[in-house]
Formats: sequence, C-alpha cells, structure tokens
Amino acid sequence: MKSLVVNKTPKRSENIHNLILKELYQQIPDNICVIDPDFNIVEANNNFAEHFGSWQNKKCYTVYKKLDVPCDNCPTMDVFSKGKPVVCDAIGIDKNGRKTHYIAHSFPIKSKRGNKIEYAMEMTRTVTETDRWQQEYHILFDRVPCFITVIGEDFRIVRANEAFRDNFGDVAGQHCYKVYKRRRTKCKNCPAEKTFNDGKVHHSTKTGIGKQGQKIHYAVSTSALMRGTDSVAHVIEISNDITALKQLEHKVIEAERLGAVGQTVAGLAHSIKNILMGLEGGKYIVSLGLAKDDKAMINQGWEMLERNFEKTTSLVKDFLSFSKGRLPELKMIDPAGLVNEIIDLYKDIAAQSGISLKSEIDNKLKSAPLDAAGIHTCLTNLVSNAIDACLMGEQKGNEVIVKVYEERGQLLFEVKDNGSGLDNEIKKKIFTTFFTTKGGGGTGLGLLTTRKIVQEHGGKILVDSQKGKGSKFKIVLPRKRLMTLYKETKE
Amino acid sequence: MLSKKILIIDDEPDVNTYLEAVLKSNGYETFSISDVENAMDRVKEIHPKLICLDIMMPKETGISFYSKLRKDKDFCKTPVIIISGVVESEKFNIHSFISDKSIPAPECYMEKPINVKKFIKKVEQLTN
Repeated sequence: MKSLVVNKTPKRSENIHNLILKELYQQIPDNICVIDPDFNIVEANNNFAEHFGSWQNKKCYTVYKKLDVPCDNCPTMDVFSKGKPVVCDAIGIDKNGRKTHYIAHSFPIKSKRGNKIEYAMEMTRTVTETDRWQQEYHILFDRVPCFITVIGEDFRIVRANEAFRDNFGDVAGQHCYKVYKRRRTKCKNCPAEKTFNDGKVHHSTKTGIGKQGQKIHYAVSTSALMRGTDSVAHVIEISNDITALKQLEHKVIEAERLGAVGQTVAGLAHSIKNILMGLEGGKYIVSLGLAKDDKAMINQGWEMLERNFEKTTSLVKDFLSFSKGRLPELKMIDPAGLVNEIIDLYKDIAAQSGISLKSEIDNKLKSAPLDAAGIHTCLTNLVSNAIDACLMGEQKGNEVIVKVYEERGQLLFEVKDNGSGLDNEIKKKIFTTFFTTKGGGGTGLGLLTTRKIVQEHGGKILVDSQKGKGSKFKIVLPRKRLMTLYKETKE
Repeated sequence: MLSKKILIIDDEPDVNTYLEAVLKSNGYETFSISDVENAMDRVKEIHPKLICLDIMMPKETGISFYSKLRKDKDFCKTPVIIISGVVESEKFNIHSFISDKSIPAPECYMEKPINVKKFIKKVEQLTN
C-alpha cells in the first residue's frame, strides 16, 4: 500500500481504488446486496449468492425470507425513509431452506448530486453458529445435573444455574458461605479461596443446607476464571449432589450392623442349645441315679446341672457386654500407640508360653478417628486367639506379629500367627455362630465382638488361614468412611 | 448276645456323658471321644454300628470327619446321626457345608437338645 501512495497519479490512483473496492466487495466475509426502493435486489456479491441463493430479478424479502410481501419492520424501508444507516438482527432462510440468524447493517446510497437515496446497501453477517453456541452454553449451564455457581473475589455469587437455584434458592449477590451453609463467615478449607490464591483446581466434600432446610451433601470442584493473565477474577464452583450416595453409604453401614445383630442372635441360640443339652443331660442322669438309687450317678448329674447353670451365667454376662448398642466414640488417635499397648499387655503371657510377640509399625502413619477402647478390644481378642492357636498347634518356634500400616487409603491392623490354623468349614463359621475352638473355655463371642466393633467403624475383617500353618486376621478400615463417621458423630 | 457298639464324638464332655447314659440305659455299648482328630483311628479300632457326631469342634469339624468317613471303603456305610445346635432340623443340608455332591447326606440329623425318645427310636432303627 505504501508504494501505491508514493507512486500515485490521479488516474492511476483511481484505478487502484476501484480495484480495491471490487476485490473488497467480493472478498469481504459478509453478504452484501444493493436494493432499490421497490425492494428489488440489483446487485449482490458472491458470498450473498452463496448463502441466500440466486437473487437476480427477485425482491429482497423473497431472497432473505422466502416471503411474497415485505417484512414487518423492514430496515430497507427505514433507510429510504430516514436516510440513515440501520442495524437490525433477523432470522432468514438460506438457500438450503435452513434457518439463518444474521445481523444486517443497511446504508443509504445517494445519487451523485446527493439529494436522493437511490439504493440501500445491506451488509449481513450470519451469527447462527455463535448464537447456537450461546444457546448450547446456556442449556449446558442451566440443565447440567449439578450445581454451578460463579463466585466473585468477595465470595458473592455472581451467577447460579437452575439446579443450584432449585436446591438453594435464587441467591445471586449473596455470600456463598451464607447460601451453602447459612454461615456468617467463610468456611474452613474453602476450595474457592484456595483457587483464588493459586489459580489451581481444588476439590472438597461438604455438607450444606438447602432452601427447605434439608441437608445436602456435595462434592465440589473449583476452577479459576481468569481475565487477562494476572489474577483470578472469578471462581467457578461445580458441585455434585452426593446426598443419595451418602444415604446409601449410611444404609450399607446400618445394614451391616443389623446383619451382625441377626447373626449374633443365631449364634446366641446355638450357644443356648448346647447349654440346654447339658442341662437335659444332668436332669436325665439325676433321674436315672434316683431310679437306680445310685448316689454316684446322682452326683454326676447334679455336677452337670451346676456346670451348665454356670455356663448360662457367663454367657449372659458376655452377651450383655457384647450387645452394648453404642456408637463408637471416635477420637483422633495414633494407631501405632494402640498396637504398642497390646504388645505390652501380652508380652509376658506370650513369653511364658514360649511364643515371640512382635510388632511391625509403619512410622509414617497419620492419626485416625478410632474408638480406642473398641480397637483395643479387637486387638486383644485377635492376639489372645493367636496365642491360643499357637498353643494348640504342633509347630515349634511360634510367633505372633501385630502389624499396623496404610494401603490405598485404608488403615490396616493385622494379627498373624504360625499356630494351628483353621480348616475350611471352621473358616466359614467363625463369624456366623458363637463358635469356639476352645472347648468349655470360650463363649465364642470374641470374634463376633471384634467384627461388630470393626463394622461400627465402617470397616471389615478378613481372615486368611491354613490348617497347620497359621492364620492372619486383617482389620481393614477405609479412611474415607472413618472420616464420614467422625463428622457424623461430631455433628 | 453281643451289645451294639456306638461311638459318640463331641468336644463337650457333658454331651458325651449324657448320650452315653441314655444309650447305656437302653442296652448299648458306648465309646466316646472328644478329640475328633483321633476319631478315625477309634472307628477302625471298635467298628461301631453307629456314630453320633457333633459339628463344631476344635481343630477339625464334624463335617470334615464325616467326609473322610464316607470316603473310607470299610466304613462308608456306617450310619451317622449328626447332633448339633448349628441349624434347625428341618433346615439341615449337608451340602451347605461341603461342596462335594458325591457325599451322601447322613442317615439322621438331630438338633440339640435332643428328644430322648425320638433319639432312641432312631438309634434302634439304624442299628437293626
């Protein structure tokens, strides 16, 4: 362009000017047409023809909108009557019969004398794509089945989508913490605040209060909305309603608890049946002794009766301590400390029986919400069982190892022995009945109690055992579940 | 006439005493053992006409012993009464304990505490 200016002569300059106009007329990415006062299109560029189809000898309303009469609010008419440019947006029909949304700029073209408007030139730019994108964005924003809010630096909600409004009310302009949690101050560990500080995505699980006072559990992610490159102007919060999931989780824990109760009752019945058998036996032998006038037999029967009455007493006592229907009292404690306590408690007993009792503790272990007394009971039961299993086994060099460690978000306590081990039938029954392998010495409540406490912590107990080789009992406590229970008990 | 030998296997001494008393007073010769691990040797030694067997016992279950007995060519036909408190009589199914379907069900299952009359009747029936 610079050389054109330097070398210009009036004639040459006019030629170049015309060339540029001609090129511009065809190459501009807009549709251009020229309309006379009778709505006839008298000229149009290639883009126009490509978009709206043939225009020669046709009225503008026929080409733009496939109509037989002029449009209402005709911009061309305004141009002719007012002599000023007019901008409007309209929806027409393209050459393929599809709806097309466009913005039209109409200008007057005056006669050479300048006193008469001879034509109107219309430049139209289709906005169908942009418009569709915008519509899609609105639908997505409003209809997506999660809560979306845009939050400003002052923690006020700038925009909220339909799902959010349905659950929390129409709350634009209010502080997010007030809306989500009815708080007067910012929440602790606010993910939005973290995103404002570092511009990164943050996740969190929270419990809020809906517009009808209902509890809403949600998993929230916050992302930065940057204007320019310097700072975060807004944060977008996307939350998934996980209330149903939480309720389901709660139900599962509850079902496990009830399941344990059911099995306990079945186990209790089994225990009572055994005692009744002993009582019936005592009664039978006493009667037999009386009939035969056999004092020794009467004594034998009487002793049987006494023994089984005693068993009833101790069963009732054990059962009452087992059935204490209390929620675990969860406190943040060091799991390693519990293992050390158990080792101290059983060290001497194990040593006296020639069993080596060891601990393996993961030193990096973080504290966890546990019921100290409950887990203490579990470990006591498992370690005492392990020692008994060693005494019953025939192997020499017995050892019991108590481990505590973490694996894939789960806290694990493990009690391993190389004692007698369990055969397959026993393995199936150990948690389902008041089963004891200790003859008259056990009530069979130890493992049931252990499982009950573990389930109350939202965990499970696994057993791996081989007859003659030993057993490994593993208490698996998912940290997420522990935290959920911890929050619930605190609330 | 030689009396009929019956072997009682239960880890609970009171149960053994009771069943022995019942059976002896009805004319049977009884043997009892509370250690199931040595039970097979006892069977081979005394050749019982009938075995009364508990399920839940230390070290080895009665079910495990029963499987071994049914696989033994000499004693696979020895009648067995399982006496246990594990399940109710009408709900007992041996195959809920053992997966090997070729092992037949025991001749009788009785729930603890037993009904002495029914027990003796069954014993008579199985030993004749």
